[in-house]
Parts: sequence; structure tokens; C-alpha cells
Amino acid sequence: MSDSKIAPTQSVGPEYQPESKKPTATVSTPVDFENVTVLPQTPQLIALLSIIRNRDTQRGDFVFYSNRIIRLLVEEGLNHLPTVEHTVTTPVGRPYEGLSFQGKICGVSIMRAGEAMEQGLRECCRSVRIGKILIQRDEETSQPKLFYDKLPDDIASRWVLLLDPMFATGGSAIMAVEVLKSRGVPEERIFFLNVLASPEGIKNFVSKFPKVRVVSAFVDAGLDEKNYIIPGLGDFGDRYYTR
Amino acid sequence: MPSTTSTVIVSENTSNGAAKKNGQAKADGAIAKRAHYAPPWADVSIIGIAGSSGSGKSTLSQAIVQKLNLPWVVILSIDSFYKSLDEEASRKAFRCEYDFDAPDALDFDVLVDKLRDLKAGKRAEIPVYSFEKHARLEQTTSIYSPHVLILEGIFALHDPRVLDLMDMRIFCEADADTCLSRRILRDQRERGRDVEGIIKQWFNFVKPNFEKYVNPQRNVADVIVPRGVENHVAMTMVSQFIKQKLLEKSTHHRAALTSLELTALSQPLSRKVHIMKQTSQMRGMNTIIHDIDTSPEDFIFYFDRLAALLVEQGLNNAAFVSKQVLTPHDKPYLGLEPAGEVSAVIVLRGGASLEAGLHRVITDCKTGRMLIQSNIRTGEPELHYLTLPKDIDTHASVLLLDAQMSSGGSALMAVQVLVDHGVKEEKITVVTYSAGRMGLHRLTQVFPDITVVVGNLCLDAEERWVEKRYFRC
Repeated sequence: MSDSKIAPTQSVGPEYQPESKKPTATVSTPVDFENVTVLPQTPQLIALLSIIRNRDTQRGDFVFYSNRIIRLLVEEGLNHLPTVEHTVTTPVGRPYEGLSFQGKICGVSIMRAGEAMEQGLRECCRSVRIGKILIQRDEETSQPKLFYDKLPDDIASRWVLLLDPMFATGGSAIMAVEVLKSRGVPEERIFFLNVLASPEGIKNFVSKFPKVRVVSAFVDAGLDEKNYIIPGLGDFGDRYYTR
Repeated sequence: MPSTTSTVIVSENTSNGAAKKNGQAKADGAIAKRAHYAPPWADVSIIGIAGSSGSGKSTLSQAIVQKLNLPWVVILSIDSFYKSLDEEASRKAFRCEYDFDAPDALDFDVLVDKLRDLKAGKRAEIPVYSFEKHARLEQTTSIYSPHVLILEGIFALHDPRVLDLMDMRIFCEADADTCLSRRILRDQRERGRDVEGIIKQWFNFVKPNFEKYVNPQRNVADVIVPRGVENHVAMTMVSQFIKQKLLEKSTHHRAALTSLELTALSQPLSRKVHIMKQTSQMRGMNTIIHDIDTSPEDFIFYFDRLAALLVEQGLNNAAFVSKQVLTPHDKPYLGLEPAGEVSAVIVLRGGASLEAGLHRVITDCKTGRMLIQSNIRTGEPELHYLTLPKDIDTHASVLLLDAQMSSGGSALMAVQVLVDHGVKEEKITVVTYSAGRMGLHRLTQVFPDITVVVGNLCLDAEERWVEKRYFRC
């Protein structure tokens, strides 16, 4: 049982604030892998997570607030794209030393919960191509099984944002990455964006694909005997689409 | 009864006023090195115009205000301060037997309170008196931030406490026949009285009171104006005086802004200034936004996207409290929730470009608006328009949004307005797309307890190009 696992609890707030003024909250469990990025544990992010974790939160709020977190995930994920220096002239005539992004991207969502992240992606990248993968647990073997995929033809030449909000054991994500690799996408060009991860899932995934970049909003304490993320937020797809 | 009630107002409230009478605007003197900023309304000049009923006081005041045509010259009619009548007095009033023309009919204590509030730069809630009902109405009228106030009414120069607050005292006089005939016409037309009642009131109250209370005010007047509006010399003189006062205030204000500039530069930025981390996405978006060749569609898309991130960052400075929630797996999670309502105030027009971003983060955010424009000639910021949520002083956090901050003059003024309305400094977060160091220094020296979130640092005297690009004009 995960209850015995220690979830780190600390004061959260901007650095200029004295510790005594910051409220206390449970923050992300630390994980130490070079390619795993967890969003900064700001009070705002914790408050958003508190809303979508709360079983009393209605669907409308769940959709709105999870979308805000997903946008932050996408913004962070995009930071890892390659760039090149690029100087432009501003409307007031001075030069601005900036940069521009290299390479084309696409999204790939793992159905159905991953599709809930598409809106957030579109809000950051207009008219982005989005592929879909359907993976379901086989009743007999209880192993994940690929049922359907539809991916951009030129996916091998793109950077891929793989979308699945709940990263529990990582079984579906592993299968999805294998599909992507079989279409010629190198590991280092895959970013796996998820809202909640488990330390077990991350460990398992990173040992198989050390070069895939993982971006999570929060790493929970662990999994329960049914492999649910604990304390978790329930079934993301149910809460987003049907509950 | 005295002349028409026509009060120029800044805004109107239907119920209770937003600012508490004495506000919470007291500056926290405990912090060292706090610089001082005095907005141009901090020491309003008050001009009193008294005179007999029908002597042309209000016509004169209105003519002056119309001639100047500036939002910060405001008329306050002393008629607003009539005491509410009890039943018996009210019955008398309806029979035209109540003495409205004696100083006792007016509530000078409230008047003095309101004038002192205005002198202190605070918002004043002015009562509204109904001549039909002979009572004060529920609603009040707000006056905030006039630079010059004209107090007009038969007893404007009556109370010594009021006299002390005045910069110029004027007494209007007119021939008694003129006064009576004007009064008959006005009261019939505007207040629905019959001639008999008007004449009864004139001889019972108006005339004796004139001798007893109104006329003696001549002795404390600086100027005596015969023939009211027809007196062009007097009109010009008063207008000149007001212009002189406005110029003094503007000069003071600009000098104060300049002196803040001089002390600002040598110090490091306040810890409460948060400049967004220049991640590659931020730099990439900034590049697109800065590029003169970017299409309007792209500009707006990327600006909205970046604005949402600015607002997200701004909200990190709001107050939160711990909250335990139960997840659908029946497990507890110790999280946070906002300590109270978060609202926003847009500094127009630039701040409106951050509004799309704001609503992506808080869909139904209560939003106040103020229009601050720099004077084309002097560069001095001027407050033209203001509406704020009524309960803004109770909100846990207030975001103040503007697209750009260069010298910080309008930001200083905007924060001062919030402080004047009872918002505590530590609850204010200024969110701006770009700012220069000078402006940031000035702002945080005067208001060290506010937080500032800045998208990117720019040169000090940057033109306001962002709003031009965003609104495409």
C-alpha cells in the first residue's frame, strides 16, 4: 500500500516570502533522472491540482482547471525543442536579439484520456498535426494491446509530443513509444507529457527509453495494489468526458 | 431654497460605497527608504461660491467648468448635504413651512468630513438629497481625484471649518428682484411648486435668512461678483485662478516623478519584482512579438499565449491556504486553495491587451478599468476614467494589468488609485508585458510591498508599441 510511502510536505510560495507566511502542502515526490522534468511546484499549480484531485469537483471545473495545467505542461515541453539565434527589428526600430524554433512538431494522443490534452496543445500550437493511438488492456493477458493508430505520414521527421495525462505503470506509454519508434521517430525526439506520474512508472519507463523526455506536473507517492496512482485523481478520461 | 442641484460627478454608486470613509490607505511608515509619491489630486484646491438664492452661483460654476472642460474640475453643490427631515418637519416642508434657507437645515459635519476625505486624496461618497421626498436617498454619488473642487451653495462660506479648507472664496450677489423672479421661474419649472407657495417661502424664510446669515458671508469672501454669469471679467478671473492651480499641481506632480527618477537608478531591483524566466519558449514568443514583420494574426495569437503565462505567474503571488481534499480513491491530499477572491484592474488602453490571457486563466474574473493617458504636451499621466468592483478592498489579491511600463508614471498613479480605494499594497500584483528598470525602481520605491511580474526588461523610454500592434491602430 502506498500510504506508507512518504509524500513530501513543505511550505509553498514565492521566495521573497518568509517561510512562516507560506502555506503547507504536499509537493511532488522527487525523482532524479536527467530527462524527467517536473513543473515548478508553485502555489498556483498545487491549487489547480487540488481542484482536479478533489472528488467533489464537477466536470466543468475539472475540464477548465485540468486544461490550465495541460497548457503549462505543453509550454514546458516546447522549451526542449532546438532553437537558433534570430535577430529581428521591432516596431520602434531597434533590433531584438531573439531566437526561433527549428523543426516541425506533431502531437500524438493515447486514446481516450490523452485526447483531453489536445485542446491545451492547440492553444499553444495552432493547426498542429495530431495523431492518435488506441491502446487497451487485453482481457486475457492483462497486457496493453494496440488496437488502432493513425499518425502523420511524415512523423519520422517530426518532434512528437506524446499525450497521456495519467502515467501509472507506464504500460501504454511504453507501447506507444514502441509504435512511434517503429515509424522511425528517434527516442530523443519524443516528449511524453503527463499530468500525474508515479515513481514506479517513471523508473520503469526511463530504464527502457532513457532518451525520451518526460514532462510531468506532479509525481505522486506511488501506486496501490490495483496499480492506481495514489492519492491520484481518479479516472482522468471519465472525469473529463463522461462523469 | 437654494439653487439647482447639478453636481458634476466622477462616478455613481447605487448602494454602498467602495472605499471606507477613512480608508486603509495609511502608508506603512515602518519601512525605511520608502519614497513618496503625491498624485495630483492629493491636495485638492477648493473654491467656495456663496450668495443669495437666485444670485447665479450655480450658473457661474457651471459656466466655469464648461469653459475649462477638464474631468478633474468638479462642482459639489451644498444642496447634497440637506439633513433628512423627520415626519413632522417633512409635513411642514410639503406645506412650504419648513425653513430650508437657514444654516441649520444643512449637515455641515458630513460636509466637512467629505471635504477632508477629498483633501486627503480619498474617494468621498456624497449623499444624494431628493427635493421631492425631502430625504436623503439610499444611493450616493462618488467623487474621487478632482484637482479642483468648486463648492457651491447659499452657505458655502458659512462654516469656519469649511472656510479653512478653501483656496478661494467667492460671494455672488444680485438684485433682490432678479433673485425672486429667477426663483419663481425655477421652482415652478424644476421643483413643481406653485407661485403662492414660493412667495410665501420667500417672505417667511428666504428674505429674513438672507439678512441674517447669507449676506454676512460677504465679510469672509475674497471676491464679490455682481451680475453672475454676465460678469465676464469675474468669470475669466476665476478660470485663470483655476488654471494657475492646475498648473501648479501638474508641475508638482512632474517634479515629484523626476525626483523619484534621480534616486532610482543606483539600486538593485526589489526582490518582489519577478522577471519571467527567459526560457526558449519565452524568447521564441518574444521574438515573434517583437518582429515588425509578424502578421497581426500571429502577433495576437502569441501575445495572448504569453499573456496567459504572465497572469499564471501573477497569481503565484496571491494568498493561498492549506486545504485537504479527498480524491476519488478516498485518499487525502494536502493541497492549497486561494485565500479569497482574485480580481483584476485593467489600465487602459494597454492593459486590455492582456485581457484575453486573463480570461484564459480566470474565466469570470471581476475586472475594474481605469483610463490613464499621458498628456501630449507635458508627458504627465492623467486619470480620465475609473470603475472598480465595489468590494475591491476585500479581495485577497488584485492584479493590475498594463502592457508596458516605461517611466512608471501611469503605474504609480494606478497603484495609488487602488491604495486610495483601500486595497493593501501587499495584495497588489502589477503584471506587465515589458518594463524598463527606471520605471520598476520608481514604482517599487514608492510601493515596496507590491509585487511586479514582468515579461521582459526593455529600454527605459520605450514607446507604447504593444497596444498599437495588438489593437492594430
